[in-house]
Amino acid sequence: MGENLLKIENVKKAYRKYNLFGKEISNFSALNGLNLNVEKGQIYGFLGPNGAGKTTTIKCIIGILEADSGDIIIDGKNIEGNGLYFKKKIGFLPEQVGLYGRLTAKESLQFYGGFYNLSENEIEKRGKELLSKLGLERDANRKVAEYSLGMRKRLALCVALLNNPEILILDEPTSGLDPRGVKALRIVLKDLNKKGLTIILSSHVLTEVQEICSHVGIINKGKLIREESIEGIRKEIEKKSIRLLLKVKEFTEKNSKELSKKNRIKSIKQKNNGKHEEIIIELKEENIPWVTDFLVSKGIQIFSIEPQKNSLEDIFLKETGGD
Amino acid sequence: MVINLNLREKYLLKANNLWNDRETWQPLIISIALIISIAIIHKSYWEATAETSPEEVWGNKQLTKNENNWTITFEEDVGNSITFKGILRTAPKFEVYKNDTFIPGKFSEGEALIYSEELYGKTMLNVSGMRILVNDDLSEKFFVSEIITIKATLVSNISTFDNNGELITLEREGWVAETDDINLSSTKDNYFFTTELLILFAGLYLSLKKIKNLREQTSLIWHLAAFELKQGIKSPRMIVLGVIFTLFIIGMGWLLGDLQNGDPESAFFVQNANGALQQLCFFVFFVVSLAAIGVSVDSFHKERQANTLNILLAKPINRETIVIGKAVGLSLVVGIPALVAQILGLIFMINAGEAPSASGIIAFIICGQVMIFTLVCFQLCFAISARSGADVVMYGLGMWLLFAVVWNLLIYAISFALGIDVTAEDFENDSRFQSIASHMGMLNPGYVYQFSVGLLTHRTLAIDLEGIPGWLILLALVLWPITCLRTATKLFKREVKG
Repeated sequence: MGENLLKIENVKKAYRKYNLFGKEISNFSALNGLNLNVEKGQIYGFLGPNGAGKTTTIKCIIGILEADSGDIIIDGKNIEGNGLYFKKKIGFLPEQVGLYGRLTAKESLQFYGGFYNLSENEIEKRGKELLSKLGLERDANRKVAEYSLGMRKRLALCVALLNNPEILILDEPTSGLDPRGVKALRIVLKDLNKKGLTIILSSHVLTEVQEICSHVGIINKGKLIREESIEGIRKEIEKKSIRLLLKVKEFTEKNSKELSKKNRIKSIKQKNNGKHEEIIIELKEENIPWVTDFLVSKGIQIFSIEPQKNSLEDIFLKETGGD
Repeated sequence: MVINLNLREKYLLKANNLWNDRETWQPLIISIALIISIAIIHKSYWEATAETSPEEVWGNKQLTKNENNWTITFEEDVGNSITFKGILRTAPKFEVYKNDTFIPGKFSEGEALIYSEELYGKTMLNVSGMRILVNDDLSEKFFVSEIITIKATLVSNISTFDNNGELITLEREGWVAETDDINLSSTKDNYFFTTELLILFAGLYLSLKKIKNLREQTSLIWHLAAFELKQGIKSPRMIVLGVIFTLFIIGMGWLLGDLQNGDPESAFFVQNANGALQQLCFFVFFVVSLAAIGVSVDSFHKERQANTLNILLAKPINRETIVIGKAVGLSLVVGIPALVAQILGLIFMINAGEAPSASGIIAFIICGQVMIFTLVCFQLCFAISARSGADVVMYGLGMWLLFAVVWNLLIYAISFALGIDVTAEDFENDSRFQSIASHMGMLNPGYVYQFSVGLLTHRTLAIDLEGIPGWLILLALVLWPITCLRTATKLFKREVKG
């Protein structure tokens, strides 16, 4: 087990509306006793459906919002009352990247770098490195207003990394990016993580999380419902049955019963689409050769075999009740 | 009884918690409590060493008419020699008896004496309504609205005068004084005020010392302010507004300079250069408040919409520091062009008329910058709490209309509600109306600016402008920006609660 970097204990947060006289008129609980553990060096995927409380959690960690109760502990210290100290250790990339359009990339870095007691030269040097790493070196003197969304995201990432943070928090980092942008971001994040940066990213794009994260936490209705390493999830997926979609000819009811009698498959469904039969068999992956051998031995013509593996999505849907 | 005890405990606990929550500001709170105590001692000092109600003493005099023998007497227990403390209600230079200012031998009931040639060269002071004859010409020695102490002696004499063909013998008591008996109250007040200021600064210093990362946050304020200034000063909106208000202030300065030498009967007559300067203050306020709206629209609300605020909030900077930094920056965006406009306006005014006092010019510029900061902070409150850009502009324009345009109507309405006939010809000279207008002025940053400049054109701060003492004007000048800034930071900090 690694060293604990971020610990969230029983955090509650509600959004309230007040009338003109300051009386509370509505109350929506976004976080209902959330617990979370992120260890040093992890890429932690923070999953949850829309409105689950991901952004609220992030805002509480970086101090944009204040939790109603509970503790947020970074490096063993509660952030309450030490907000400024911890903000220096965190880099943040919001979902909607807001940068000043009238500034160039260089000016943006100078402006945001000014909040970290960095000298102009230090900012210049570090900024140059980051811009080069994120492929913005040639656009460093262009106004941000002229940037595409992908470029803005990359620049915002430069801004987030300017202070050499210990934790990088990204809220839906790939939203609005094209596949090339997503891939580029993935490479950069993996590279940063290799150098020791702990990354927390919230997302509901599960393939992205599966690709990049070492750990995931799934939240729903403001509560953590599962926290697991990607390796653990992978093992669970492997343990689970997969679905085999077959397109065959001359598959009879009798064949179906014979297959069902064997204990090697869990279920079998059959339907005719006119041209040929479509069979969906739920079984363990190691039993696929046995099924194909069986069909061949019965003289059944096989047109296609398509194994459908379980994924993080299935787990996510199951955990969040969206199945 | 049990309930009372519980309530007491509850309030004690609440007070204790409030006190402990404000650990940083405890020295300042203690210093303010000390200042209030000193202010009470100050007031008691004057009550104990001077007669602070000369108007009452004067009002209680008795004129007895017994056929041809008239007497004017004051109350028996009033004493023969009293140090009065009061305000010079009229300019001493207009109260000097000269050859053609009275008809010798005529009785003046208002001044309670018979005019005679012996009075030539003497001054009849009006100290808070009380008449005291000074055996000297006090022109240019004392000025209207100054608070003075005057050691006056009660003298009596007998003289006669012709009252419509009837010879009347008047046995009168009256108050007289020499120039040396008169002092500005500030000679004593200054000891108290200096002590109060020292205590305030000590409290402020000790409180600031308790603020975590003060130096760092101060440098962040400047960082943010410099950014706002750089962005704002180049904006097309500010360039247009800057040009318009500079031309307006120059025009008004020129006009006010010209009016100084105009017809006293004219509705636009300006008595002197200091008066013109006070009026120029209003015109500066009139246009600068519009510019404050113009620059504040883009802060907070627009930043929230453009999502730039989230990145800023994730940086190691307090919410208070963000508000202060933006307030300082935006104030400079308005303040720098306003400073240019103020100087140009002054040059044109002096060129066309006379030069106001140096202290007045300094006050005009410095208090103008304070007023701009106040207006920007006021606007930031709207920018922070408004739900749309249109709301920010509408609230801002509402404020501008209220403070710069309809304030006088509001004064009339309140005066009317309090029983003053505002349709009467001379109602503006009614002391009650003047008192309402000046007290209400403390609630308007534009008027506070005017009053402050008016106050600082005098040689002393111990003056009274239409019922408002100098210290209250200075307090309003300080409290306005602090209150607006505090409100803006509170509104912005409230968002952290969600």
